[in-house]
Amino acid sequence: MSTREPVTWAVETTLFRGLAVLRLVMLGFAVVVTAVKWDRIDEPGLVVGAWVAMAAWTGFAAWWYDAPQRRTAVPFVVELALAVVLMRLTTVIHEPGHDLSTSATLPSFWVAAVVLGWGIRWGWLGGLASAVVVSLADLAVRPDVTQYALGNVFLLLLGGPLMGWCTRELKQMAEARDRAERIAAAAAERQRLARVVHDGVLQVLALVQRRGAEIGGETAELARLAGEQEVSLRAFVQSDAPDAPDAPDRAVDLAARLSSLGTATVTVSTPPGGVPVPGRVGAELGAVVGACLDNVRVHVGEQAPAWVLLEELPDAWVVTVRDAGAGIPEGRLAEAEAQGRLGVTSSIRGRMNDLGGAAHLTTGPEGTEWELTVPRGGW
Amino acid sequence: MSGVRVMVVDDHPMWREAVERDLTAAGFEVVATAADGREALARFPAARPQLVVLDLQIPAPHGVEVTAEVVRADPSVRVLILSASGEQDDVLAAVKAGATGYLVKSASREELLEACRRVAVGDTVFTPGLAGLVLGEYRRLSGEPPESDREAPRLTERETEVLRLVAKGLTARQIADRLVLSHRTVQNHVQNTLRKLQLHNRVQLVRYAIEQGLDEEPVDG
Repeated sequence: MSTREPVTWAVETTLFRGLAVLRLVMLGFAVVVTAVKWDRIDEPGLVVGAWVAMAAWTGFAAWWYDAPQRRTAVPFVVELALAVVLMRLTTVIHEPGHDLSTSATLPSFWVAAVVLGWGIRWGWLGGLASAVVVSLADLAVRPDVTQYALGNVFLLLLGGPLMGWCTRELKQMAEARDRAERIAAAAAERQRLARVVHDGVLQVLALVQRRGAEIGGETAELARLAGEQEVSLRAFVQSDAPDAPDAPDRAVDLAARLSSLGTATVTVSTPPGGVPVPGRVGAELGAVVGACLDNVRVHVGEQAPAWVLLEELPDAWVVTVRDAGAGIPEGRLAEAEAQGRLGVTSSIRGRMNDLGGAAHLTTGPEGTEWELTVPRGGW
Repeated sequence: MSGVRVMVVDDHPMWREAVERDLTAAGFEVVATAADGREALARFPAARPQLVVLDLQIPAPHGVEVTAEVVRADPSVRVLILSASGEQDDVLAAVKAGATGYLVKSASREELLEACRRVAVGDTVFTPGLAGLVLGEYRRLSGEPPESDREAPRLTERETEVLRLVAKGLTARQIADRLVLSHRTVQNHVQNTLRKLQLHNRVQLVRYAIEQGLDEEPVDG
């Protein structure tokens, strides 16, 4: 059978196993309670017969209730009837003149197990109904309603519904947990399938890009488009966790954020396994690297290659942005500053200072390199 | 590059054929192809390739396991990873398992052929992305609590310097110029970074095997 047992069944089964132990304890108690007043018992044969019946049912119930599909109404009704009959016998077994007002019934607390069983199987209403039946049977034995009898009845009326209510709560919790586990498993499976699908799509895009570029002409344009999509999809695949929304205090994965800046011409290299940083550091560093890359496009060329390297050092996060352009001509920055144009360079430096970090610029004929450092101590 | 025996492992038929065609045209001898890990491992002993061009995302066993297994069976074989998705964990695992080259599939035909040539003669082929991963992995290892009897592998200052430059997109030639080293020396530094990582990985596997009581068979480095 492919259908799974509902988890609520498992909850019931566990409770019935507990109840089986309880029945055994109650049986022992019932035997002791009657045995200590043996000199006032007129019908020892009947008592022993009752004990045998209770023991038989105790054993039978432990086995019968262990299978969920056997927990139908019939055994519960039989059990309740047995309890009522055993309680009725209380009036028969004693010698004449024995005061039944404060005396234990023949099955004693063993009947409580019956009420609890009803509660487990049929909820608080079942618990209440069986408790009422057992209570009435108990009171019917008493010539007078004493505090002793009322106390027992009160506990029964309380215990049955309480057991039903607790069982329902347990079942609901088990169901909620089961649902959550199934959702998690489905999500994991979906993620696995997505990886397979993504890989297939990437294969095709890479192939289109490769063959298209070789064929040339209009196909080369298709190849270029395929290449761009391939880079975006790969960046997406490589950033495994969805990026949390910007929140200054929440950690974000800087590696994933920088990877998303990768294009056909921009290569992003990061350490394995993500680099968690405070939200503000992630947002600002991401923006600064974006500005550096914009600068490369404007000053070096639209299709100029650039490289981004993220490093996680014991005391700092370091991001390097490099291009292979001709470099910034000497004196141009100072000149721009003298003219009051602060420009991109100052903006980058300013933002890094705000983060408590630093931006170091190296420029020369082999290219320009920004090294952005944020100390980890302050965060 | 005549005579280099190559095995191409890729579950995508068009890719497998394209790579096979390019390699054959360039003078490589494609001695076997395989569509999944099982086929690859079954054909490897008879084909005895010198170079395995391997896609990581293949039906089981996975590319990382295939890498480990072929390198174990024949330590002289070279493995070039060709991956479409470049999933970081997989790439790093493959390199630790013994691959000495890694290329994303968007690389051009020339880049692929050049990578095959270099890996076949024992060079390492690193993308900047892989260099970033390896740098990060060394730093992660050095940050871990030291194991009782053995230190985590460490990069020398020079190796760190070289790896950083690779990660920043400089070619071996450019690195040699910048650091005033020979091209060969730069290559050696890059190779050493991988060798130490692979050795560490192997030692860990052996340790694991001994701890788990799996060391019935003699393990020779």
